[in-house]
Amino acid sequence: MRPHDNRAWFLVLPALTLLGLVGALPLLAVVNYGFHDIFTLSDVFWVGPQWFADILQSDRFLASLGRSLLFSLLALGIQVPLGIGVALLLLTYGKRAVLGLVLVALPLVVPWNMIPTFWLGLVQPQTGLLGPGLAAIGFDWKFTGWHTWALILVMDTWHWLGLVVVLAYAGLSAIPPAYMQAAAIDGASRWAVFRYIQLPRIGGVLAIVFLLRFVDSFMIYTEAFAINAGGPDDATRFLTLELGEEIKGFSYGQAAARATLYFLIVLAVVWAFVAATREREG
Amino acid sequence: MRYLGVLALAGFILLPLVQAILLSFTATLPTDSLTEGTLGLMNYRNVLAAPELRAAMLNSLIYVVLNVALCIVIGLPAAYALARYRFVGDRHFLLMILVFRVTPPVVLSLPIFILFSQFGLVNSPVGIALVHCLFNLPVAIWVLESFIRAVPREFDETAFLDGHSGASFFFRHLIPQIAPGIGVAAFFCFIFSWVEVVFARILTVTGGKPITMAIQAMFSFQTDIGMVMAMTCLSLIPGVAMIWFVRHHLARGFTLRA
Repeated sequence: MRPHDNRAWFLVLPALTLLGLVGALPLLAVVNYGFHDIFTLSDVFWVGPQWFADILQSDRFLASLGRSLLFSLLALGIQVPLGIGVALLLLTYGKRAVLGLVLVALPLVVPWNMIPTFWLGLVQPQTGLLGPGLAAIGFDWKFTGWHTWALILVMDTWHWLGLVVVLAYAGLSAIPPAYMQAAAIDGASRWAVFRYIQLPRIGGVLAIVFLLRFVDSFMIYTEAFAINAGGPDDATRFLTLELGEEIKGFSYGQAAARATLYFLIVLAVVWAFVAATREREG
Repeated sequence: MRYLGVLALAGFILLPLVQAILLSFTATLPTDSLTEGTLGLMNYRNVLAAPELRAAMLNSLIYVVLNVALCIVIGLPAAYALARYRFVGDRHFLLMILVFRVTPPVVLSLPIFILFSQFGLVNSPVGIALVHCLFNLPVAIWVLESFIRAVPREFDETAFLDGHSGASFFFRHLIPQIAPGIGVAAFFCFIFSWVEVVFARILTVTGGKPITMAIQAMFSFQTDIGMVMAMTCLSLIPGVAMIWFVRHHLARGFTLRA
């Protein structure tokens, strides 16, 4: 067991100071702005919780919230099982699995604003590598809502699958071989090995994957906006698009109130998740 | 069946990259001497000849190196404390770094801009390096903590018995022991920082633009998409090199501690 020693705080202090400066301070500022009407930085009026009430009562907010939650759900539902599957597949290759990890990690180093450009180029009906084929079967991401959704989901999966695979592979390869040997002697099925040995042992890794993928998909902006600017007919209008519009329209008070709300939603999900994790661990 | 899976995976991952690389070697805007569709290195020549693009590469390198260095230097002591001791509020600290890791950048972009402009950190790579610590420092702490925890405590005690002080223990014993962990932490910090656009955009209004924003600026009424792709492909090189350096240690990853 680790000894109790409060002098350890001195080692944590630099990290705490830096995070306070770039995290806590701006966060307090954003909450404060949310209660004000801001014309210029010297022209600020107290409006109380008015922006919050406006946002929470608007139908657009609720519709966007629903779309963002659905998108996160679909992204997690596709990427986590697929990532575990790929990690299991790579695991059967022994040492050569490293090459697979390098391959799936490639999209992680592509600048985010270029990822939609890559995919739009790919599905471009005349010049894209996939374009003519997709156009022939009637794929139209510009005017058919669920086609836009599909394109954004495929793009997001391409972008982030590597993170899920790398972390899942890390968890899986850390399982002591003795566990697998014991299961083999017992004649356990492939599914039983996965369900009762591998899955429980990669819980810690999956927790971080779930949280990182949840916030990044829930707050997707750069990629989703570039594909179809929230269209067609608001079908891919996610929460962040509204925030972006308010910032571009210089409505800083409203934008800050909205940002505070988004932060609270993310915080609630994280807190529920951590509470559940702690309870399971006892 | 297995080969089919690997093949499908490779196709899925490589297809967009292949198209980008092909385009980067193709002339996409006709000029006096070249017709559209000619293959060659002209896009790369144009990129390297443009001073603002060269400056962008330098800016990106400066801020990413600075950010990774900051995260490691500040993260290492914190990771050591969390791996070796219990202290009042340690779980709260872990919860706090998790919360900062998952705070959406777009939420903080406005006050960060106002705060940083008061300190003269706008339009400079230093500002970006500092603000990226918000999501990279937690990751660095998680990775380093898991590597330090894997080193048995007796290792520390032996070094102290041999008469090593805190600092010399850190540099002469602990750091060589967890070198792969530092590599992995640097890798994860790099991938989240190199490609980030929200903070990079808001903090570089008129100058100090990193690669991502320089690429953005290349889109215009008549975009030379071949040149854009050449710039993008060049921007992938440090990332690919980074992946290659840590490939054998990547599989250690990091887990959630909260």
